[in-house]
Amino acid sequence: MASKAVKNLSRRSFLKFVGGTAGLVGISLNLTGCGDPATADEAIGGNGWMPTQYNAPGNWPTNVRGRVPIDPANPAIVRDDQKCILCGQCIEVCERIQSVFGNYELPIKKDFVCVNCGQCIQWCPSGAISERDDVNKVFKALADPNVTVVVQTAPATRIGLGEEFGMPVGTNVQGKQVAALRKLGFDVVFDTNFTADLTIMEEGTELVKRVTGELHHPIPQMTSCCPGWVKFVEYFYPELIPNLSSAKSPQQMEGALIKTYFAEKKEVDPKKIFSVSIMPCTAKKFECQRPEMNSASKELNDSNVSPDVDVVLTTRELARMIKRAGIDFASLPEEEYDKLMGTGTGAGVIFGTTGGVMEAAVRSAYFLITGQQPPAALWNLTPVRGMQGVKEAAVNIPGVGDVKVAVISGLANARKVMDQMKAGNAPWAFMEIMACPGGCEYGGGQPRASSPPSDEDRNRRAASLYNIDAKAKLRNSHDNPEIKQIYADFLTAPMSEKAEELLHTHYVSRADDFIPKKSEDKKIF
Amino acid sequence: MAKGVLVDIPKCIGCESCSVACKLWNELEWDEQEKCKTAEDRAKEPNNGLWPEEWTSINRFDLEKDGESVARYVKTQCMHCEDPACVSSCFSKAFQKLPEGPVIYDQSLCVGCRYCMMACPFDVLRYEWKKAIPGVRKCQMCATRVANNQETACTSVCPTGAITFGEREELLAEAKKRIKENGYVDRVFGEKEAGGTSWLYISDTPFEKMRFRTDVTTQPLPSYTEGYMKATPFVGVGWAAILAGLYVYNNKGKEPLD
Ligand code: SF4
Ligand code: SF4
Ligand code: SF4
Ligand code: SF4
Repeated sequence: MASKAVKNLSRRSFLKFVGGTAGLVGISLNLTGCGDPATADEAIGGNGWMPTQYNAPGNWPTNVRGRVPIDPANPAIVRDDQKCILCGQCIEVCERIQSVFGNYELPIKKDFVCVNCGQCIQWCPSGAISERDDVNKVFKALADPNVTVVVQTAPATRIGLGEEFGMPVGTNVQGKQVAALRKLGFDVVFDTNFTADLTIMEEGTELVKRVTGELHHPIPQMTSCCPGWVKFVEYFYPELIPNLSSAKSPQQMEGALIKTYFAEKKEVDPKKIFSVSIMPCTAKKFECQRPEMNSASKELNDSNVSPDVDVVLTTRELARMIKRAGIDFASLPEEEYDKLMGTGTGAGVIFGTTGGVMEAAVRSAYFLITGQQPPAALWNLTPVRGMQGVKEAAVNIPGVGDVKVAVISGLANARKVMDQMKAGNAPWAFMEIMACPGGCEYGGGQPRASSPPSDEDRNRRAASLYNIDAKAKLRNSHDNPEIKQIYADFLTAPMSEKAEELLHTHYVSRADDFIPKKSEDKKIF
Repeated sequence: MAKGVLVDIPKCIGCESCSVACKLWNELEWDEQEKCKTAEDRAKEPNNGLWPEEWTSINRFDLEKDGESVARYVKTQCMHCEDPACVSSCFSKAFQKLPEGPVIYDQSLCVGCRYCMMACPFDVLRYEWKKAIPGVRKCQMCATRVANNQETACTSVCPTGAITFGEREELLAEAKKRIKENGYVDRVFGEKEAGGTSWLYISDTPFEKMRFRTDVTTQPLPSYTEGYMKATPFVGVGWAAILAGLYVYNNKGKEPLD
């Protein structure tokens, strides 16, 4: 009996049962008062449940209400309406933490403003919002014997994936992840840490050129490895686009090189390469579909070569693939990445956390400017570590003096600093900005921790990345032997013509997608 | 005093919180196929996305405005007429206009003749063809909430204030104010249509481009319907056949529910 009752309890009636029906007590008035006509409480419907904030009498605006709009064509995120309980958490994070929702005037023009960061996924308590599932596309490619499926894994997935299999927050499963990918049938397994190192070389060189005036682009230079942040600038601060580094994100660099460098070296037909990225991020799904991210096809002058990255899967999607294939993840052996683009340094791996790109950049900038190895103090740049939204540091580089840098995570924090910059107050040379609070380790594609987003979990994941760095044999991007090899064999030098073509990009203003906000203080519309 | 809802179309961002709230509050079933439809799909359907379990729906229209292509989202549901044709066409009093505004339907009084469906000038009534004991379904304007001094479920969740619940008279004045301030189309849809409705719409794009029944009479419909019904007493016979045909049309390509 009892078990049957439980079984029949729908999610909604359960919530109603938990929440009570106080709002309805005592309504049995006959509202019409004559004859035998229908009354309000005899009318159909009206027996359901609503979160308490909506049961208060009164008018708009009172509480947190509603939810973010999600375009059915959003390449990164989708929502299952049946699971949504209208708690308003997605609006909270999108508006307050990311400062995206409501930062425009109504009416909307055509598209919903969304930077695809996926933080709403992390905050949604009912699992209604999730990434767009692209798992089947990858299974299909894996099943095709004519296709070489090459995969890359981002710095942060190795410290996230384990949580999907019951391991403690922050467990490093790098080797098992590689083993799982091979078991799933991926032909080549590369590490995005490699192109993180390459990004440092390109972005560092660009910075030096900006500082010396060789490149007529403004200072401060801002990082461009976070596609959520890049889209945010394109929407809200198009006038600061020249400050963005032209370097592509590591995933897009790796994608372009898979279809050119790898294809050439291993004599694989680039038309038959399917390039997959495992990312902690939903915005990467948007990024790989940007029309600019088609460098291999352009470079090879062959329109039959597909985009540099064909499919991006989040850490959660990879976990689903592993589970679907029935692989016992915990008992997998530790395996190594494939050579050529599978070696990363400690500097590369810390790209996965807020402050990491900056720390990596400072190490190599020191080398690029002085020609000497950075002192050990630069291997532990504490002012840029931790979960504060805005961090600053001054690094002394001989011959240059104090170089001021800033590190920001969370787009509401970035908005404040950008406004400050627009007002002419930007004492920094280089700024690292990541859309997600804490950086990619808590990106929109990472495992949904059983607790709501917290700095405690963020710190644990970040500590794991710093631990990998501390134990790494090589800790500077410029020391990576595969980086030296690719410049010697293929790219010539940082920012060479070929490097520009494959590893750099440009941005577009999206300011025309919406009506700019008229007054700053007006909260919701 | 009579309540109403003001729908300010340009303020709607298409988040569909309102239609989810309607489902939550009225315990309406989820249908896999309806769930997968987009606001764009629904705008192209003959019935604007209204089904027995979808009492309200958001429809997206892509329009030209000042040389720019724009999207507008329109919420559809029962208009809650001041003098409802469904009420006067129902001889068994299953429909009732409450003094607070809502037009409600009590299935226990319904005999299933479906005269109401024929009478409704806005085509919002849906018959439960698939049920053993079918009834007519439509938005009830959350009558128990309204009776309890709460606003309708849908308006309570709207994050932008695109749908506002309040006194109809005050909303009408507010509507006119907004038309002036924002340069909207000079018409409050529902002020006079079908003799006036509790739900009022204002817009910056032409109503006729968003499938509003702009040709609906401004005369109150009951008198009209009564006369019509009396004059053509045989219409009920053929009507079932017409509705059955419409059912097939509306459901083509649709899997039957389990
Ligand atoms: S992905 Fe980010 S920007 Fe888009 S709705 Fe979610 S929180 Fe907002
Ligand atoms: S956070 Fe999730 S459950 Fe809450 S309103 Fe948003 S989509 Fe719905
Ligand atoms: S008033 Fe109530 S029944 Fe009508 S559409 Fe709104 S939520 Fe649904
Ligand atoms: S809740 Fe408001 S903004 Fe969202 S779709 Fe409904 S009317 Fe539009």
